[in-house]
Amino acid sequence: MRDIETKSRKSELLIILTIVIASVPMILAFSLLVLSSFSEEMVTNLKSFRPTLENWINLFQGKMAITGSIRVNIFEITLNTLIVALGVAGLVTIVSTLAGYALSRMDFRGRKHVMIALLVLHAFPGVALIVGVYLLYKLTLPQDPDLMRFYSFFYVILARGALEIPMSVWLMKGFFDAIPWEFEWSGIIDGASRITVWRKIMLPLVKPGILAVALFAFIAGWQDIIYVRTFLIDQTLATFIESNIESEFSHMPLIAAAGTLYLLPTIVFFLIAQRILLQGYSGGLKG
Amino acid sequence: MIAVVRIRLENITKEFGDFKALDGIDLEIEEGEFMALLGPSGSGKSTLLYIIAGIYKPTKGRIYFDDGDVTDLPPKDRNVGLVFQNWALYPHMSVFENITFPLELRKVAKGEIRRKVAEVTEMLKIENLLDRYPWQLSGGQQQRVAIARALVKEPDVLLLDEPLSNLDALLRIEVRAELKRLQKKLGITAVYVTHDQAEALAMADRIAVIKDGRLLQVGTPEEIYERPRHKFVGGFIGNPPMNFLNGFADRGILRIGKSTIPLPKEYESVRGEVIVGFRPHDVEIGEGIEGEVYSVEHLGREQIVTVSVEGEMVKVIVPGDRRFEFGDKVRLKPKKIVLFDKKTETAI
Repeated sequence: MRDIETKSRKSELLIILTIVIASVPMILAFSLLVLSSFSEEMVTNLKSFRPTLENWINLFQGKMAITGSIRVNIFEITLNTLIVALGVAGLVTIVSTLAGYALSRMDFRGRKHVMIALLVLHAFPGVALIVGVYLLYKLTLPQDPDLMRFYSFFYVILARGALEIPMSVWLMKGFFDAIPWEFEWSGIIDGASRITVWRKIMLPLVKPGILAVALFAFIAGWQDIIYVRTFLIDQTLATFIESNIESEFSHMPLIAAAGTLYLLPTIVFFLIAQRILLQGYSGGLKG
Repeated sequence: MIAVVRIRLENITKEFGDFKALDGIDLEIEEGEFMALLGPSGSGKSTLLYIIAGIYKPTKGRIYFDDGDVTDLPPKDRNVGLVFQNWALYPHMSVFENITFPLELRKVAKGEIRRKVAEVTEMLKIENLLDRYPWQLSGGQQQRVAIARALVKEPDVLLLDEPLSNLDALLRIEVRAELKRLQKKLGITAVYVTHDQAEALAMADRIAVIKDGRLLQVGTPEEIYERPRHKFVGGFIGNPPMNFLNGFADRGILRIGKSTIPLPKEYESVRGEVIVGFRPHDVEIGEGIEGEVYSVEHLGREQIVTVSVEGEMVKVIVPGDRRFEFGDKVRLKPKKIVLFDKKTETAI
């Protein structure tokens, strides 16, 4: 017994050690970023950390360079990011819960082909598609400037969402597959239509799946830079940071503050997602 | 409160791709009758139940409720209540919400819903569980909630798909008596799917035995037990089931190996190779078929003696006071026999 216990503890220790070592660069990089945002200059060693809230105040006031008078509205940029992220999350969630249900539960012509196509589509990197997607954008872009801004939001959500949809549909299909047919039959016998069954019985049962898909899509929209930069007329946090990082006026600790702001949803996401994905439905089903 | 409906199935055939799950089933279920669909797993009995419910559409054949053809009606227009094997209680809804779900869908008035729920939950003794969630209930309670949900909409027909198989053995015996009482009290037409022959014998007014998608026999439990029309029915029903031996019938005499026994009057004209079937209870040890004791199992008041006859095993139930030893030579005299055709395995 003693032998087995020591062995397992050893291997466990080894695994933990590996994880810690592997994550040291990441943790270090993120800590330096966060610390720098509260420092007068970029933190590279302990001596260079001189605490201040100046960066954050300047960021929220939109003063980009300490000396210059360049002003940006960081709230508007954050709002833009939020619109794109929520738009992608909403679009992906709606499409994948409907399509996932159909692929899991309905027998229609071409169902197998659709599933294979989804897998293949998922394998395409977004960058590879961007030329074609840009051509479509050019062809459909309205001429009116106000409309153009609105349309660019609409288009970036659609295009970025489309990249997320194949995987999300697969994920949702898996969640629907796990639910016994009896729940659905029971609802139909009770007098519900297929769509009512989907809404009132199936959706609550796949709630963990919906949350997972929505969160992943939100993060994808929040983090995206290529599609946003190509199509969106306004700036999001990602393009804002990118365009400022090389600018000659930029004050790096201030960019670090913007970067920290940009990171926040991802941190929140992992805290939530961890709980949801590990929990599932506890003891809800029997038989 | 509940309308009583007669169900008529006409030539019901169901194919799933190349697989024929049901093959030309004709069956009538009378008003207020408790009909058991009995068969081994994969026999098609659940498929038949789902066809009555409207979940599956038959490939061929018609279904009538009274005189109305319901074959093309969707489930919600058939007004049936269905209790599933896993009960299918919606896990995200409380017991109250589960039971009222069918009423909400029908837009029944709030007061009316309250009244109906009170009535059905009182009848099933679950009125104090309304605020709980399915996972907080025991198996027996979940089953009652499932029955309540099926009954609350006052269905014309109650369909049950092995509702007891998820309960433990003792509870199952208790619940089956209660379920039968409930069905008779309501006077509702009920169709009950089971693979447990004891359950079918104990509960049903009539039993339909199904195997490989075919209806082998329909009859009261007594008829099914005493006069099986097919060898399979005899071998499936009773515990232990019917014994079978190969024999040769000729002018009122049945020859089994070296032994002979006289045939009863109704079989006097039978001639040729047959299979003889007899129940373990219907055998006396005395004159008759020669055999050797293979094993003895004591069950208290009686004992099951397995006898090897020409290499085939025959089980005999005899009073517990007689002593048998392994290897004893015995002679078996069946009191009641059924002859089956050797080729078709149907009763002669």
